[in-house]
Amino acid sequence: MVEGILFVLMAVTALAGAVTVVVARNPVYSAMGLLGTLFSVAVLYVAQLAHFVAAVQVIVYAGAVMTLFLFVIMFIGVDTSDDRDERLPMQRFWVGILAGVIVLLAAGITLSGNFDWVPAAVETIPEATNGTIQAIAEPLFTDWVLAFEATALLLTISAAGAIALAHFKGQRT
Amino acid sequence: MTFTIDYLALAPELVIVGTLLVVFTLDMVLTRPKKFWIATAAVAGTALAAIPLVILGVQGETRSMFDGSYVVDEFALVLKGLFIVAAYLVLLMSHHYIESERYYQGEYYFLLLASVLGSLVMASSRDLIILFIGLELTTAPLFLLTGWRKGDAKSNEASLKYFILGVLSTAILLYGMSFLYGLTGEITFSGLAEATAGRGDEPAMVMAILFVIVGFGFKIAAVPFHFWAPDTYEGAPTPITAYLSVNSKIAGFVALLLMLYIALPGVSEVWAPALWILAALSMTVGNLSALRQTNIVRLLAYSSVAQAGFMLVPFAAAAVVGADLEEAFAATVVYLAIYAVMNLGAFAVVIAGARKTRSGELSAWAGLAQVDSRLGVLVAVFFFSLAGIPPLAGWFAKFAMFRSVMIAGGTTTVVLAVIAAVNAVIALYYYAKVVKTVWVDDPTGEFVEDVEAAPAVSLRLALWVSLALTVAIGFFPALVTFVGDASRVIAVGG
Amino acid sequence: MIVSAGYYMALAAALFVIGALGMLLRRNVLVMFMCIELMLNAVNLTLISAGRALNDLNGQVAVFFILVVAAAEVVVGLAIIVAIFRRRSTASIDELSELRG
Repeated sequence: MVEGILFVLMAVTALAGAVTVVVARNPVYSAMGLLGTLFSVAVLYVAQLAHFVAAVQVIVYAGAVMTLFLFVIMFIGVDTSDDRDERLPMQRFWVGILAGVIVLLAAGITLSGNFDWVPAAVETIPEATNGTIQAIAEPLFTDWVLAFEATALLLTISAAGAIALAHFKGQRT
Repeated sequence: MTFTIDYLALAPELVIVGTLLVVFTLDMVLTRPKKFWIATAAVAGTALAAIPLVILGVQGETRSMFDGSYVVDEFALVLKGLFIVAAYLVLLMSHHYIESERYYQGEYYFLLLASVLGSLVMASSRDLIILFIGLELTTAPLFLLTGWRKGDAKSNEASLKYFILGVLSTAILLYGMSFLYGLTGEITFSGLAEATAGRGDEPAMVMAILFVIVGFGFKIAAVPFHFWAPDTYEGAPTPITAYLSVNSKIAGFVALLLMLYIALPGVSEVWAPALWILAALSMTVGNLSALRQTNIVRLLAYSSVAQAGFMLVPFAAAAVVGADLEEAFAATVVYLAIYAVMNLGAFAVVIAGARKTRSGELSAWAGLAQVDSRLGVLVAVFFFSLAGIPPLAGWFAKFAMFRSVMIAGGTTTVVLAVIAAVNAVIALYYYAKVVKTVWVDDPTGEFVEDVEAAPAVSLRLALWVSLALTVAIGFFPALVTFVGDASRVIAVGG
Repeated sequence: MIVSAGYYMALAAALFVIGALGMLLRRNVLVMFMCIELMLNAVNLTLISAGRALNDLNGQVAVFFILVVAAAEVVVGLAIIVAIFRRRSTASIDELSELRG
């Protein structure tokens, strides 16, 4: 029962946040909508026993990434990105509608074909998917250690490269 | 839980990582006039990475790590060799280009090396997670490098466009992968191959596979997912354009082939028609658009879209009629290897020529051969090779492609072969037009005629290497057939 | 009561569609970028619920990697956007029309 209520509540806020991202005229509102979605999804992770991933979601996504987004919005200036004329050429509008219908159709087919994704939903807490830090860390540092190191390198590279790209001093412009 | 790491199998990757760190450190220590050491270190490190590859190749045994999710077999070695040779040529092309325009040097090289590392990882990956990490490590540094000409608005836009579409395609690809995982519970290719076999009639499975193909379609710039390519290619620094059109495209192909050949052969009835359409559209649209181009880089961009179509032909043809995929797989790898060499040569010529003409517009290239006949010869060699004229390397790529289609047989494949043949003729027209402009037309403007405009030593080396390979492969195709044969030894992992 | 995986996947599909629509309808680069984050979250939610339903931890490991890679991509993307905005001051992709496909 608890999970059912939680699911309905969080699904509603997640969808509301997602819609806000798309329809809000001011990018700051969009960012706030995204923040709402990220938090709701984190709660849904906890509901599915993915504790560690939920914590990472809140710390990395809702924390670091959203701060960066807001920083850039403020840095560029809300005024310039605000209430810009977003009326679209008609064909782009129809392309959007068409693509939406196709994707919805695809989702519909999927769900009708496979709504009970798995044959038997487990009633008790399954040990294998109880995503505590220890449970995640073990495969992460054994089977996936190569991927782990590669992502570490990716983070270093992107941070250093980003600084080089955004740094203008002494560079011919 | 025990696990072991086979350091010899990882040696090429480790050498590249070491080089990357050396470059990183040198950049902090050296002052501006001594920065050329950074490029030297990068080139030397890349060359060094080939040594463990040769050792592994001589040993010839298949090494498998992490429950078979990272495999070093002959296929992986051949592809790694190809990536390293291509990276070596791109580094040679970059050196003078980056130095003379006064871009940041240290960051340039370590981003490029990180991208090379990503492609090496990808060639060995045999599960979804490592494939995804390898793909991201290949493309993420390129988003930054595309925008390296910071003062130029075109470069800025090129990187933004590449970034937005690159990330979008990643999201689509991941959604497809998450469905594959949800439907099968498997994450390794061998597991997926077993679990997906014969399930091509499930709607969710069809959707997952189509999402995966759309995601990769963006990465290899196949029509209709190619629209970012010309703009990005034109705006990026030219050595990066060469890298994008060769390494990053081949990396996309490797990922696509690994997924389809190893993980999803049991549902080929789903992806075969999609691939067939992609191949036919890429060839036709790419070639017809290339006809209208007046800028030589945009022309090469559309030409590489069309070449991607040719590369898809063997696989699409064999899968549609349900023939054995092994022959098609080998033909595709041969095509990839030859394409890498000749396309890098073409871009090296463009860099050398642009120093003389100060322009990428084809009209400014008119009569170039009259002032510099050696450059003229090189233009003729690489563009005729791309067109597939014997005895240059390109003919064998086309030959291998048509042969594998003929082996597959069947009506739909013949239709595809006819489309490919017609496109080969169209392609000949615009490649020949470039050669004609350079050799026959009268000069329209002034060429830069000082010492500065002469190709630098490193660029000349890149030209010589690609020239030698293009001509040698053309006369002795046996040099690359072993590449195709080696790639047949592909370990499934697991 | 345990909510079956299908409901989570339906929610994820809805998030993915909203994100995809946002990509097509909005022209503000920052908002387009946020829409991609929505799509990635849909992917993650699918993986987590599939993993729980299958009683398999690999789904959560995959989500961890996607989160980290997404963070790296955000850094790269925002650096590109900042580099552009220091030269000009628009957030609309249509005003960047130096290049035309």
